[in-house]
Amino acid sequence: MPDLVPAIEAKPAAALPGSPRAFLRVAAATTAAAALIVAGPWVLDTYAVNLLVRAFFVAIAALTVDVLWGVSGTLTFGQSAFFGIGGYALAIVFSQFGFGPGEALLALTAAVGVAGVVAGLVGWLSFYPGSTPLYASVISLVLPIVVVQILYSGGTFTGSSSGLVGFESFDLSLENWFRLSGLAMIATLLVMWIVLRSDAGRVLGAMRDNDERCSYLGIDTARVRIGLLVVAALIAALAGFGYVGFGAVAAPENAGFVFGTQLVVMVALGGRGSLIGAVIGAIVIELASAYLSSSLPFVWELIVGVAFVVVIVVLPGGLLGGLRDLAGVVRRRVAATPAPVAAPVMLRTVQRPAAAPDCNDVVVEVSDLSKHFGSLSVLSKISFKARQGELVSLVGPNGAGKTTLIRCLADGRERSDGSVRIAGHSIERLSADRIVGLGLGRKFQAASVFETLSVADCLRVARVRNERPSFIEASPVLALPAASRAVVESSGLIERLGEEARFLSHGLKQALELAMVLALEPQVLLLDEPTAGLTRAERQGFADILTALVARDRLCVLIIEHDLDFVRLISSRIIVLHQGRIALDGSVAEVVDAPLVREIYTGRPVSDAGGASA
Amino acid sequence: MTFTRSLTALFAAAATSAILAGTAFAADPIKIGVPVGLSGANSVVAPSVVQSAELAVAEINAKGGVLGRQLALEIADDASGAAGAQKAFDSLVFQKKVDVLISMETSAARNAALPIVARGKVPYIYTSFYEGKSCSPHMYVNAWVPEQQVPPIVDYFTKEKGAKTFFLIGSDYAFGRGMLAFTKAYIEKTGGKVVGEEYLPMDGTDWTPIISKLKSASPGALITSTAGGAPNVTLTKQLRAAGVMLPYGNLAVDEGTAKSMGTDGEGIYLSASYVTGIDSAANKTFLAAMQKKFGAELKTPNDLSVPEYEAVYAYKAAVEKAGKTDSGAVLKALAEVTVDGPRGKITMSHEHHAALTMYLGQVQADGGVKVISSFANVSPGAQCPNLK
Amino acid sequence: MITLVLDIITTAAILFIVAAGLLIVFGVMKIVNFAHASFITVGAYAALVTSRFGLPPVLAPLVAFLAGGLLGAATERIVVRRLYRRPLDAILATWGLGIVIGQLVTLAFGREVQFVPTPISGTLALLGVDYSLYRLLLVPAALIIAGLFAGLMNGTRLGLSTRAVIMNENLAQGLGIDSTRVRLITFGIGCGLAAAAGALITPLASVDPNMGLAWLIGAFMLVMVSGGSLLTLGLSCFVLGGLQVVASTFISPILGGLTIAVLAAVALRLRPQGFARA
Repeated sequence: MPDLVPAIEAKPAAALPGSPRAFLRVAAATTAAAALIVAGPWVLDTYAVNLLVRAFFVAIAALTVDVLWGVSGTLTFGQSAFFGIGGYALAIVFSQFGFGPGEALLALTAAVGVAGVVAGLVGWLSFYPGSTPLYASVISLVLPIVVVQILYSGGTFTGSSSGLVGFESFDLSLENWFRLSGLAMIATLLVMWIVLRSDAGRVLGAMRDNDERCSYLGIDTARVRIGLLVVAALIAALAGFGYVGFGAVAAPENAGFVFGTQLVVMVALGGRGSLIGAVIGAIVIELASAYLSSSLPFVWELIVGVAFVVVIVVLPGGLLGGLRDLAGVVRRRVAATPAPVAAPVMLRTVQRPAAAPDCNDVVVEVSDLSKHFGSLSVLSKISFKARQGELVSLVGPNGAGKTTLIRCLADGRERSDGSVRIAGHSIERLSADRIVGLGLGRKFQAASVFETLSVADCLRVARVRNERPSFIEASPVLALPAASRAVVESSGLIERLGEEARFLSHGLKQALELAMVLALEPQVLLLDEPTAGLTRAERQGFADILTALVARDRLCVLIIEHDLDFVRLISSRIIVLHQGRIALDGSVAEVVDAPLVREIYTGRPVSDAGGASA
Repeated sequence: MTFTRSLTALFAAAATSAILAGTAFAADPIKIGVPVGLSGANSVVAPSVVQSAELAVAEINAKGGVLGRQLALEIADDASGAAGAQKAFDSLVFQKKVDVLISMETSAARNAALPIVARGKVPYIYTSFYEGKSCSPHMYVNAWVPEQQVPPIVDYFTKEKGAKTFFLIGSDYAFGRGMLAFTKAYIEKTGGKVVGEEYLPMDGTDWTPIISKLKSASPGALITSTAGGAPNVTLTKQLRAAGVMLPYGNLAVDEGTAKSMGTDGEGIYLSASYVTGIDSAANKTFLAAMQKKFGAELKTPNDLSVPEYEAVYAYKAAVEKAGKTDSGAVLKALAEVTVDGPRGKITMSHEHHAALTMYLGQVQADGGVKVISSFANVSPGAQCPNLK
Repeated sequence: MITLVLDIITTAAILFIVAAGLLIVFGVMKIVNFAHASFITVGAYAALVTSRFGLPPVLAPLVAFLAGGLLGAATERIVVRRLYRRPLDAILATWGLGIVIGQLVTLAFGREVQFVPTPISGTLALLGVDYSLYRLLLVPAALIIAGLFAGLMNGTRLGLSTRAVIMNENLAQGLGIDSTRVRLITFGIGCGLAAAAGALITPLASVDPNMGLAWLIGAFMLVMVSGGSLLTLGLSCFVLGGLQVVASTFISPILGGLTIAVLAAVALRLRPQGFARA
């Protein structure tokens, strides 16, 4: 899905799992930066201090854009709207009620409250199952325009085109404003960094890389995105609150879409996804435009525009990413040391009570399932039951509707008619992530993993549904259920836990995806042509794993396959689909030699019973 | 964070502070800051304002400057709005450290700038006509306010054109609303009726629905007060394209803008404290000097640019009277000095505003303004009672 | 009442002229050209140059089309070509391009607002009201543009190739159609149309380096809702443009400006692929 997966760009800073050394480095850098901030006003002149106070607040807003866009993949032009809401809340309250501690509290509550409500509304509008990233961007574009028009139509209440001035605001000295805004920026950066490299923060990168896979791992991506938007909106509103509190002027330009796009430009130039890039981009652009716009009035904006285009087209990691890559090249030439390896990850097995060896409850029940596109009927009146301990192979020529059937089982909104029950619960019109919760795991035909995450992180994201991840820690221990661990060990992934998934071979990616799906501890496993592209040895290993899953763990496995030898080897039951209907449903012996199967596959009626087997 | 990344960050921070730590040192010339709308709505008139300032500075410097020091101009773009004004004023007051600010700007920009002027304690001479009642101990105004500009037009329409109903159109901001509020009150006071009052945002370009309302209201006269420059021109163009030929009083147009409207501008009534046709020796000398200095590049001097010229002279007089450029002393002296310029003798002694001679004129086909009548020494009324 | 109807029809025509170029690019290449605004500006300045050279005003849209077309083809070749697989990045890169073009225009012509003399002034007495003649003429102009484009698509070899590329680019390439050239020409035409639109609207507006921006969002939303069909674009311009005029007239002009953006966003929520048939 090219629209959902952006071109692979620089890996975000949070990709590498934590180690104590990283913590120390960060603590040192933070303390140094804080010290610079505190000492700043003694060294810099008034004008520079003035500019930097504003630049720091803008940098905080840019950080929220980076989290939404660089880290989780939602291009947003709308953070300026929340910035403006925060600023105008302060301006309106102080203009109407005057200045005082009570009024300041009211203004703060208004800023945060309005921003939160608007963000919730916008999130609900933009992120729903089936929405596209383009639509979310469109909404984020419309938001600041709407906010600005509302401001324009507010008469003297909002100051209309002129904005609000003349209200009394916080009486801090310029130096203390500098320290406040600078320290707030560093604190925001630090908190974001901690959260993004924590186990919970991995999910954001996973959503950016492969939203669909996340849904099929049981993560309600819409809800996560809405929550993220609300948090980002609150932070941007507070930044705007500070900005207007400092300047004592609220102008519609602070909320407009030109400012919103400037934030995107800052993040892109600095290096999207890296957090610190957003800060550097914001500060550099704010400072340079103030200093250079008088001496090079038109040329400065031209330079920014050209740099922006170049960065988008050629240097997706921004200037910072480019510098980093350059530094990496230099370091490798000079020191000949290998690139830093992530801290080792330890595996642990999740203990679960073993399944009763004979249990064979019905876990998949399909009645009269139909799917049609307009007048074209793809599936009609499919009915079957599948039990624990069964390994059912779905076979049939291309176009028979096999993948469509899998889709209808995994996503409650896909089918046109009929009912499906998974582990006893009807799936109604539930979305994919909810059905995962019922005990279903789906593995896709093309290996669907998280390209820029490490193997360990991919597995971690797969465990999110079963174990609430920490928002602070990046745990060095990875707990996997036995089946998943078995796949990791037997495929050789265990030696490559720290490597990014995009560097794996096709076979290993398939194994990784299987391990991820098994990490869900599903009762029902849907596999779509899992042996395509595997070597003979890999195929055998796969067969062993599946047989063990079915026999020992009492899973129910539905597998779409074309390799009939493989099917014959592992299945306990075969369902043959043809032109959207079930043609045969029986044991291996019954189906494999049936003349109907030969007829379906070759398209010819069979003339003699002694023909070569299919 | 990787080591390289934190190193780069620290390097960037250190480099930035090193660059910024080099502060500007005080220079010998007296610096006049001119923040003006080089971009945005005011960009049509801004070049003429800059030319006025340049001529005044050149003339004064040729005669030896002020208190033996030369004058220098620092021009900044306020983008005709509040956000841009903040940046421009910050730059002029805190970076360039000007001694005085003399300029014409939109009300949005002026309102945003006043807190910075107060913080920087820099004298500010506002040379633009505006909606009145803006007061600051640091600001003086040598251009007109509604009490001076509106009555001539309304009276003319009521008496000479027999208009009993008026339709008002404006830009939705302090100036547009302020002017029209005063106009409405004056119309009603003199027995007329306002049958429509419509506004577009300052950057709005499509007046179509408003023009349609105007036509269906069939008023006796139209009075508009848009932001200067582009909004004025788009409204007039669209009015003419729609065939509106009512008596049309434009409270915000100046001669330069009228000229650039071409034939669409013909017939517009304006009320101004300056028109190029003023028959005085001072004006003729001024126009000749402008022509000589700028030649083919000359932008028509107008009611927004000539006060700038006179304000520079007012500052010169105030500094000479105070004997120094110290802010407090200059501010006190500005209320007392008189400048004899193209608009006659002007003193900013009425609560930081000035009594002015007003001219009622009509735009001709060639873009020039024909003076219909003039009113001497019109008082600005009570603008800032607290600033006696 | 008649005035209102005429307002709606002429507004729809103007919106159509402005958005058509954007739609053509989106329909064929599936990317959004955010530099569209700056091409509108380029067209307006082309009209300015035409009037300065003393050429008859009726040539202005043609000069603008050529200028915009050449500039558009150049930008496709240099920048846009690399971004077909990254639609969100294409939005950003074209936005950046728009900034660059805008700044180049500013450098060449200065920041001030300039004016192009109105080629046709006066009103026409139509159905009992006096209505701006120039606005009325934009309706046939819109129809001519639509007609020319339909003729191009349905009556020429290039049009056939383009339709093939729209439906299935891989197959078209496999059949020997140079899809790269089709894209180049399409982008050029789309930008040329934007420039022509800019030249056509200058008599009703002023000419300054940022004038195109006001049209960008409205055009963008209309194109999104129309989903790639020129006919649907015409309908959307009529419906949404009409609602905008009604809102501006009866509620407030300030909130009226919101109408297109908000209604289009809601419509897209209901039907994300737009409303084009098939």
